Amino acid sequence: MTLSPTVDSRSLRAARQARAALSRASRRAVVAAAVALGATFLMGTNAFAAPAVGQQAPDFVAVDTSGAKHKLSDFAGKFVVLEWTNPGCPFVRKHYGSGNMPATQKAATDKGVVWLAINSTERAASDYLKADALDAWMKSQKAAPTAVLMDEDGVIGQVYGARTTPHIFIIDPKGMLVYAGGIDSIASARADDIKTATNYVNQALGEVLGGKPVSTASTRPYGCSIKYKS
Amino acid sequence: MILSRITLAPFLIAIAAACMPAAAQLAPKTRAVVTTPHVRAELVAHAPDGVAPGAPVWIGLQITHQPEWHTYWKNAGDSGLPTELKWTLPAGVSTGEIAWPVPKKIPVGTLANYGYENTVLLPVPLEVSTLYKPDVALTGGSPAMDIKLQASWLVCRKECIPEEGEFTLSLPTRGSTALNKAAFDTAQAAQPQPLGAPGAIAVDGQQLKVRLDGLPAAVRGKTLEFFPETPEVIRTAAVSGKDWTQAWDGATWTATMPLADQRSESPTVMPVVVVLAEADRQSGQPVAWRAEAPVSGTWPTAAAAPRAAAVSPALQAALAANAAQAAAPAAAQAQPAGAFMVALLGALLGGLLLNLMPCVFPILAIKVLGFARQAGNASAHRKAGLAYTGGVMLSFLALGGAMLALRAAGAQLGWGFQLQSPAVVAALAALFTLLGLNLAGVFEFGRAAPQSVCSAQAKHPLANDFLSGVLAVVIASPCTAPFMGASLGFAIGLPATQALMLFAALGLGLALPYLVAGFVPAVARLLPKPGPWMHTLRRLLAFPMFATVAWLVWVLGQQSGIDGAGTLLALLVCLAAVVWAFTLRGRTRVVIATVMIAFTAVLAGAIGRNIVQVPEPAKLAAAPNDGERWQPWSAQRVSDMANAGRPVFIDFTAAWCVTCQYNKKSTLADAEVLADFDAKQVAMLRADWTRRDPAITAALTALGRSGVPVYVLQAPGKAPVVLTEILSKDEVRAALAAL
Repeated sequence: MTLSPTVDSRSLRAARQARAALSRASRRAVVAAAVALGATFLMGTNAFAAPAVGQQAPDFVAVDTSGAKHKLSDFAGKFVVLEWTNPGCPFVRKHYGSGNMPATQKAATDKGVVWLAINSTERAASDYLKADALDAWMKSQKAAPTAVLMDEDGVIGQVYGARTTPHIFIIDPKGMLVYAGGIDSIASARADDIKTATNYVNQALGEVLGGKPVSTASTRPYGCSIKYKS
Repeated sequence: MILSRITLAPFLIAIAAACMPAAAQLAPKTRAVVTTPHVRAELVAHAPDGVAPGAPVWIGLQITHQPEWHTYWKNAGDSGLPTELKWTLPAGVSTGEIAWPVPKKIPVGTLANYGYENTVLLPVPLEVSTLYKPDVALTGGSPAMDIKLQASWLVCRKECIPEEGEFTLSLPTRGSTALNKAAFDTAQAAQPQPLGAPGAIAVDGQQLKVRLDGLPAAVRGKTLEFFPETPEVIRTAAVSGKDWTQAWDGATWTATMPLADQRSESPTVMPVVVVLAEADRQSGQPVAWRAEAPVSGTWPTAAAAPRAAAVSPALQAALAANAAQAAAPAAAQAQPAGAFMVALLGALLGGLLLNLMPCVFPILAIKVLGFARQAGNASAHRKAGLAYTGGVMLSFLALGGAMLALRAAGAQLGWGFQLQSPAVVAALAALFTLLGLNLAGVFEFGRAAPQSVCSAQAKHPLANDFLSGVLAVVIASPCTAPFMGASLGFAIGLPATQALMLFAALGLGLALPYLVAGFVPAVARLLPKPGPWMHTLRRLLAFPMFATVAWLVWVLGQQSGIDGAGTLLALLVCLAAVVWAFTLRGRTRVVIATVMIAFTAVLAGAIGRNIVQVPEPAKLAAAPNDGERWQPWSAQRVSDMANAGRPVFIDFTAAWCVTCQYNKKSTLADAEVLADFDAKQVAMLRADWTRRDPAITAALTALGRSGVPVYVLQAPGKAPVVLTEILSKDEVRAALAAL
């Protein structure tokens, strides 16, 4: 062990690399935690058994577009809406561009409901948006979710069995899934159809906040296939 | 604006009617084609006998997809939308349903859709009633029927584009329109044939049992594809032969399908289509059959089977059985007093057994030496026993408290976590080097330490005993003995007070032998009397200390790589030199010690960071002598293997876990055991918890454990089997045989 400059600069370089790796790792760690939480459910009897309405909603940890960490179980005691989204999808743009999704979000959050928009689009997808770009898009749409979560590895989406954008899940204060399905009743990309469609999210939240069971608890989600990492 | 990405090509490419040659076969007067970047869609007709009541008239939308793009069947599958056709027809004319040709299953990652690629024609029968009056052509040409179509379709590759188009067609009412005969014939050939019998579908738990009779003899024994027309019932992405099975029972075809996890339809009649694989199709022969099967049985209601938050009932049962085997119950959150007492007893036993664990051995050495020194002094023994017990129990409580605090802070930690920090490992290595050097006689604490500390030590031998108790806990913690694993897993889920009581019981267990020896003279009398052999013993006991250092350096090597381990060794040599320098006298001591300390400080400043650096995971991914057999664990890999239908064996291990290393070198290296693994095609995954890894911590928590080793064998569709911590050949082989 000598103290030659080579050793010194090498160790400095190593230290820099280690620091960079650590900052990468910290982000990955959260994802990995989510992976592991996902694994919790995969370790059950049924691989990929997504929760059905009436079952416990799997817990997860995810980082939002501003880097803050959110854990589903931290919202215990509140209604939580999970909305799978991807601005590249025409069906998502139908509901944001028309103002329908922001209005639904605002109506929900005004009533104390936590609204988590989740992006499970893989990084390699042509319409993948980085956190800041997604955040900017959400702002440009005057969206009002509680947080926009990044799930590039698709772990949360896979655990929930999210298939399309949009795909909506509503979780009750006890962590039970009370709604899974589409945003509304008319499966189309035409914004004109929104006014004649039944908004299942408004309907379900109205019912559960009024102490009633959800009348339409499972519907067919419609939209673009989520571009999961393969 | 929403559809801004959609390029609607100009449509209505009209061909002047006047140019029409007077031929027996007339082309439609107007053709409508919509071309987008993804499809070319054309409204086509087939009326070989002209348009008249009773004559066969077909119209349809022909979609030619760009390569890789597809549109959807009537049941689009997991995502997607069926193509929609809205017709505007003259009075007296109506259309039937779209005669959907058989689709193709299009997997998209973990999802699957049903749709069409290449060219597909969606034919619709036109019903012309006697009320229909053909328009008289104003231009003087032959009379024609004007058909308008508003179509919308979703075209997807990975991305999805909703598109629509308007089409018009002027269909000559006289003469024949048969230009598109081939396309309509192809669509006709791709129609499923109705089966004579409706078949039957039974709901059986989370499965659908399908039975179809009356399939032609030619397809018997062949593998069929299955397409339900009702969406949202079965798991669309299920793969034949893996997730769903089919069989022939004479002339009857049966299949068992998994229901969709988020089923939103509960039909009483399910129209289903079965299709021959493309390789088995013969031209001129039907390729698909359709039945409308009545559904019997009760659709499972979602709420009827609520799932536990983290652990499936099967896993819970497996854990309970395993915990019972280990004689320490990992009971559920509800803790009746009895169950908690059993847990306390288990923890006590676990602590006792901990004394026999290799990582506690150095402490055993210290204590034996202590008893040997004070042989015959009963009062000193009692006090020493109590002080040691206090040290052990308080440390356990402190560790338990720290763990509870971290648990509250949401940190992903588990038992043994303190050895996951390279800094802690390096500090322990330094401590043990000092202890080893002391035992070997390189220095005496009395000489090296300032006088005040020495006298304090002399005055307070109890403090010494207390500190050795603390040390015992620090070292013992990573050794999760069979009892500890379950007890700690139990403690993690308990309220703070009960968890702390459990920790205290563990500590009491660990300290109990010394406590008893202190209070029961008979035990103390069994201990050897002091004598010259003590010096020999003392020198001898230096070696377990150095062995511990060697082990800690190896652990650090796992964490920080060869540079880290090398740096630690260099610094330990410096440390030894510094300690030795302090044993010198006078000016020599001042000079040499100063030089040594300065050198150590410079060295630590220059390369000390190596110790705490975390190398890229890739560098550590492949442990040297593991060969190809073991793959690094990841949740993704587990699910991949489950999807591939392969059983998985997971070894949750860590470099600092001695039991793990023992199992790895014995049972898990045994040729017979490995042959059994190969015979069952078991994928072997190793989850290395040497460094902090939240994913592994969470996976362990999911298994009800908070430390390593944990061995899990899981086969698709079966409850995972958690094996005991001290892995025996027979146990592994029995578990494998049960697969």
